[in-house]
Amino acid sequence: MSETYRQTIGRKVVSRASAQELGPVSDLLYDARRRRISGLVLGHGRKARIVDWSQVSGFGPDAILVSDDDALREPAGEREEQAGKGKLSLVGARVLTEKGNEIGTVDDIVFDPADGSVVALLLGDRELPATALLGAGSYAAVVSADQDTAI
Amino acid sequence: MRLLVTASEIMGLPVVTVDGGEDLAEVRDVIYSPGEGTLAGLTLNKRGFLAGRLRAVLPAADIHAIGRHAVMVRDETSLSSPDAAPEGVGSPDAKRDVVGDDVLTEGGVSLGTVRDLVLLVGSKGEVIGYQIDTTDGGKGFIPLPAQLSVSGSTLVVPDVTKDFVTQDLVGLGASVDDFRARLGLS
Repeated sequence: MSETYRQTIGRKVVSRASAQELGPVSDLLYDARRRRISGLVLGHGRKARIVDWSQVSGFGPDAILVSDDDALREPAGEREEQAGKGKLSLVGARVLTEKGNEIGTVDDIVFDPADGSVVALLLGDRELPATALLGAGSYAAVVSADQDTAI
Repeated sequence: MRLLVTASEIMGLPVVTVDGGEDLAEVRDVIYSPGEGTLAGLTLNKRGFLAGRLRAVLPAADIHAIGRHAVMVRDETSLSSPDAAPEGVGSPDAKRDVVGDDVLTEGGVSLGTVRDLVLLVGSKGEVIGYQIDTTDGGKGFIPLPAQLSVSGSTLVVPDVTKDFVTQDLVGLGASVDDFRARLGLS
């Protein structure tokens, strides 16, 4: 089973306890060190809220179920605030190799909805294994030197 | 195939962390040690429009790689305050600049004047040659290690250097190995 970033954006998030619709997914939080999706972002700017991955109880094709309404929390820290403003999205990020050469932009992310682990990054017609990703931030996603097509 | 860049192409490049994908600074200037023929480090500007000079510097030893689109460092700790940086990086010698210096062979022939430094892409800043304005008014590239001595106004290079003047960076990349072999350096 795999999901992609682009398929997930816009999917509704529903509370299992109240059956209330909490909103559509606007972005995914990414933990570069653990190579996992670490949470969902709902809404934008000041209204942005975070759902930690641990709160997700069901990841289905039509909706993402979370335990209850309290699963939503305010963005904490600089990274999450940037993410709420849409400035930290891995999809659309420029990709630099650790050699300092640009090889494209991230078009999509493939991940396993069972545990949020990232399987691959898609760059145009190239598929990079998640293990190639060394770090990701506001300027670029950095991948290992063996992905460098320039040298 | 070696990919090469000139020092002026590095200026303005972002300094990006491998660990975090963050841009910490951009390259203001290249600090060169002409005696050793190596890069000593980089001075930095803050990122952003009209941002101005950053006090911190980047010693060559802390460069992860210099690429065509960015200078990569491990993380924030790779930048040093000028006091903590190695001598020559924190307070560079005013005579370090070789641009404009006359390039003279041991036999007393002037090949031209230094226009720019040429660095190996993907390295920590290995200086591999110079771009020169040749005496006939053209441009050329000469390989390093070539200079025998440097005075602040003149570089003295081996006579064979004149056989290795190339017209472009690709030519220089190809000639460096032959040149070093001829000098018995590799």
